[in-house]
Amino acid sequence: MGLDTGSSSRPELAAALHRLRSTLARAKAELELAHTDGESPPPDRLLSDLREALQLLGQVEAIALSIVPVLVLDDDERLGELTARSLRRLGYDAESGSRLRALRRGEIVVLDLGMTANLDGANRAALRTARPIVVTGSADPQSRAVADDLGATDYLVKPVEIDDLVAAISRRAALNR
Amino acid sequence: MTAKLLVVDDEPRTAELTAEILRRAGYMVDVASSGTEALERVRVGTPDLMLLDYEMPDMEAPEVLDSLRSGGDRVPFPVIILTGARHAPADQVVGIERGATDFIVKGTDRQVMLARVRGALRERSPVSGAVVRGRLQVNASRGEARLGVRQLKLERRPLVMLQLLASRSGEVVPRAELLDRVWGSSYQGFEHSLEQAVHQIRRELREQGWIETVRGIGYRLVIQA
Repeated sequence: MGLDTGSSSRPELAAALHRLRSTLARAKAELELAHTDGESPPPDRLLSDLREALQLLGQVEAIALSIVPVLVLDDDERLGELTARSLRRLGYDAESGSRLRALRRGEIVVLDLGMTANLDGANRAALRTARPIVVTGSADPQSRAVADDLGATDYLVKPVEIDDLVAAISRRAALNR
Repeated sequence: MTAKLLVVDDEPRTAELTAEILRRAGYMVDVASSGTEALERVRVGTPDLMLLDYEMPDMEAPEVLDSLRSGGDRVPFPVIILTGARHAPADQVVGIERGATDFIVKGTDRQVMLARVRGALRERSPVSGAVVRGRLQVNASRGEARLGVRQLKLERRPLVMLQLLASRSGEVVPRAELLDRVWGSSYQGFEHSLEQAVHQIRRELREQGWIETVRGIGYRLVIQA
């Protein structure tokens, strides 16, 4: 906990802080120039700089405070969001979605197996890299095989208590360390 | 009906900007600049949802939530905590115990913020007090339900579910909302428990027609003469 992040994450922390400072410095220089010239600053560039800065700040916080980002993938968006919200209330930085997106640093994927029916090759490959936690409605051998094929670290059969999901997330997070 | 929101933040620019984003999304928004002021506002009129800054000089969010509950089981409306600091998981567990609905980190894209507000607003009608619908009377906080003079023997979750359905009679209550509000923080996959609860409610009512299944969506309570 706290700032004791272990030696492995220190270079990453330094890199994120470095990029954060550069991004803020760029935005400041842009504003100062516009101010000197009596012109209005370019909102598009400043907005994108600030978005990037907040994203970098998020990375710094994630490393320094051991915050775990989680993506809950479910074809039923409302169910996925409910799970994400439960996780947020427990301190996870959880988002939900009905399709795979670029993952944040160290992001853990919780995948409803219903999602895998219409996955293309690229998404399947991305999921294999993510090594998701798989949640399924049935424990039949076929589902198991799909989960194994995706390199799932945990295979949870519904109904799943939030505590069990949290335990699976902790096991998965330990693999990243 | 336009939902009424209360934004609570001691930093006036943050409060006003948050309020403006919400107003542009069509909500009616009031602003309070401290925990004390927020509690005063709530005494005058209950908002449909509160967006609450975590750290304010006069009180922190958990204290505000405690006062809002005033000894009850839960806050009578959804509260989303807006936080500048990222809290260690232990702090947010306090949040759930004291009844916060969701958390938003400051600086989150406004589309995400609006989606979370919409999500929390779906929980507007509280499960408290007594609900009377025709011959059906439910008071989950007292653990009672009656059809006419006959007492219904229901476990806690089916009882809360019946109250929720009754308070919104005629309206389809989505399964996802039932799972969230009746089963609380439990993870998905309680569809089976939901069906069992409906089964128990129907068996105890002993009459056809009260609880309709709307396939793929949820359940609706229909008042029977």
